[in-house]
Amino acid sequence: MTTFDIVLGSFLVSALRSATPLVFVLVGETLVQRTGSINLGVEGQMLVGAMAGYGAAALWGDPWLGLVAGAVAGMLLSSVHGLLTLAARANQFASGLAVWMLGFGLSAYYGAGLVGRKIEGFGTWRGAGPDSVPVLGPIVAGMTPTVLLALVVAPAVAWWFWRTRTGLVWRAVGESPEAARAAGLRPIRVRLQAILLGGLLSGLGGAALSVDHTRTWAEGMTAGRGLVAVGLVIVARWNPWWVLPTALLFGGAEALALRLQTADAGVSAHLLLTLPYITSLAVLTLTCLRDRGQAAPAGLRAVMDR
Amino acid sequence: MSGGTVDRARAMAAPLGRPALAAAAFVVLAAAFFAVIGRNPLSMIGVVLEAAAGDSYAIGESLVRATPILLCALATALPARVGLISVGAEGQFYAGAIAGTGTVLSMLPTPGWTMLPLMLVTGALGGMALSLLAGLLRTGLQVNETISTLLTNYVAALLVTWLVYGPWKSPASQGWPATVEFPAAAKLPALFDSRVHAGLLIGIALAVVLHLVLTRSRWGLVLDVLRSNPRAGLVAGLDFRRNALIVMALGGALAGLAGIAETASIQGRLQSDIAGGAGFSGFLVAWLARNHCLRIIPLSLLVGALLASGDGLQMFAQVPSSVTLVIQGLLFVAVLLVNGWLDRKRPG
Repeated sequence: MTTFDIVLGSFLVSALRSATPLVFVLVGETLVQRTGSINLGVEGQMLVGAMAGYGAAALWGDPWLGLVAGAVAGMLLSSVHGLLTLAARANQFASGLAVWMLGFGLSAYYGAGLVGRKIEGFGTWRGAGPDSVPVLGPIVAGMTPTVLLALVVAPAVAWWFWRTRTGLVWRAVGESPEAARAAGLRPIRVRLQAILLGGLLSGLGGAALSVDHTRTWAEGMTAGRGLVAVGLVIVARWNPWWVLPTALLFGGAEALALRLQTADAGVSAHLLLTLPYITSLAVLTLTCLRDRGQAAPAGLRAVMDR
Repeated sequence: MSGGTVDRARAMAAPLGRPALAAAAFVVLAAAFFAVIGRNPLSMIGVVLEAAAGDSYAIGESLVRATPILLCALATALPARVGLISVGAEGQFYAGAIAGTGTVLSMLPTPGWTMLPLMLVTGALGGMALSLLAGLLRTGLQVNETISTLLTNYVAALLVTWLVYGPWKSPASQGWPATVEFPAAAKLPALFDSRVHAGLLIGIALAVVLHLVLTRSRWGLVLDVLRSNPRAGLVAGLDFRRNALIVMALGGALAGLAGIAETASIQGRLQSDIAGGAGFSGFLVAWLARNHCLRIIPLSLLVGALLASGDGLQMFAQVPSSVTLVIQGLLFVAVLLVNGWLDRKRPG
C-alpha cells in the first residue's frame, strides 16, 4: 500500500465524517422542501439536538441514548415551526429564524453545564478492518456508527421517497397542494409530518456532531451547518439520492481545511474555515446557473419566488 | 348593532389590538419560560424592567444596544420593499467594520478631521459590497438571497477573526486579539454624557428620510408595484433587477454603517463577535414593524432595551445571558403567531 493510498483513504474518511451530521440534516430538509415548506430553523434544531444528545450521553454514559435524545429534541423544536407556518400561516423564513433563535438560546441555556464535560464516545474499528486493502482499508477502519447510519439512512429515505406510495403522496403534495387536496390527500398533515421528520433528522445530525464527530459541546457549535444544508438541498436538486455526494462536498471542504491547518500550509486557520461556506455558495451558484430554478418542486417555488 | 358596525369597529380596533395581543402572547410565553426554568415570572419581569429603563444608566445602555439594531432593521426593511428577504445584516455589519477599520488603520499616524467621515463612508461601502454580492447573485443567477446572505454572514465574521488574530493584531494588546485602539478622531460624538453616540441620531434621521422617500416618492411606488405585483411591474416597464440592486446596496450600506459606528464608538477597536446578533435582532425588528421605517424606531428601542436587560438579569438575578436570546425568540414566536392567526382569516 502506497503513502498516496493511505493519504487518500484517510482524507476520504475525514470528509465522510465531516459530512455525516450534514447528511441527516440534508435528508430531512430535502423532505421538508419537497413537501413545499422551507425551514431555516434546522440550525436551531441541530443545536438543541447536539446539546440534548451530548447531555444524555454524559448523563447515561451511552452514546446511542445521546442520538435518540438529540433526535427527540430536534423534533420537539421543529413542532414550533409546524405550528407557526401551518396553523398560524406565518412566513416560513421568519418562522425559521424564530426557531433558530429559540434553539440557539435554549441549547446555550441548558448546555451551560455541559461545557468541558467528557463523554464516552462510540470509538472506531481501527485495527479490526482489512487494513491492507488500499484506500478502502483506512475508510473501513475510520468508520463510526453514525457514519454507517448516515450511509444507510440517505439511500433508505431515497428509496422510500421514490418507490413507495407514501413517498408518492409526499411528492404530489410538494408539486401541487391544490391538486393533492382535490385527490383526497391532506397536504397540511403531510407537511407537518415532513417538518417533524426533518426536525428528528436535524436533531439526530446535531447529536451525531456533538456525540460522535467532535465529542464536545459548545454554544453555537453547529456554526451554520443547518443553514448550509438549506442551501445544499438546492444543489442536491431536491433529490434524496443526491444528498450523500452533496454532503461530501461540504465534508470534503471541511476536511481539506483541517488538513491544510495541520499541514501548516502557511494560511491562517480562520481563513481556511471559510472554505466550507464559500464552497457551498459556489456550488449553489453553479447549480442555479445550470437549472435556473427549474428543478424546484412547484409548491416550493411559490414560497421561494414570492 | 348591525354586522357592518361590528366589522367597522373591529377594523378600527385592529391596528391597536394587534400589538396588544402580540404583547400579551409574549408576556405569557416569557412568563411560562421563567416558570419552567424555576424563576418567579413576576420578579423576573420586574428585574427586566428595572434593567431596561430603571435609571439613566440603564436607559443609556438600552439606547446603545438599540443603535446597531435600528440600522440593521432598516437594512432588512429596504430589500423587503421589493420582496427580497435578506438576512445578511450581520455579515454586512462585519464587512462595514472591516472596511472602516482599514481606513482608520491606514490613516493612523496622523488622524485628522477627515478620518471620521472617510471611515463612515468606507464602512458603508464595505457593507454595500457584501450586500451587492447577494443582490447580483439573485438578479443575475437566481440564487436565493436568503441563503446566500446567511452563508456570507459566516464568511464575514471569520474574516474579522482572521484580521484581529493576524495582520491587524495590535502588538500592544498582548494575548487579546484586537486591533489598536481607535483615536478620538474616529469616534462619533457622544450624547448626554453617556456611551450613546451620534449613530443613534443618524439612524433615526435615516429612518425618517427613508419613510418619506418610500411613501411619498414615485420611486417608493415603483418598489411597491415590483413587490406586490411583479407582472404589472413588467408590463409597466419597471426594472426589477436595477431596483433590487439599489435596495440591496442601500441596505448593505446601512448595516455597514452600523458595524463601523459600533466598532469605533462602542468597542473602540475591531475585535471578534462584536455584532452579537444585532443583524438578526434587526431582522426581527423589521419583521415586527412590517418593514415600516417609522415603526422600526420605537421597536428597535424596545428590542434594544430587552437585550440590555439581559445584562441586568445576569448581574442581579444570576440568570445566564442566553436567556435573553430565548426571550427574543419567544417575542418573535408571539408576533408571528398573532399576526399569522389574524391574517389567515383575511381573504388572499
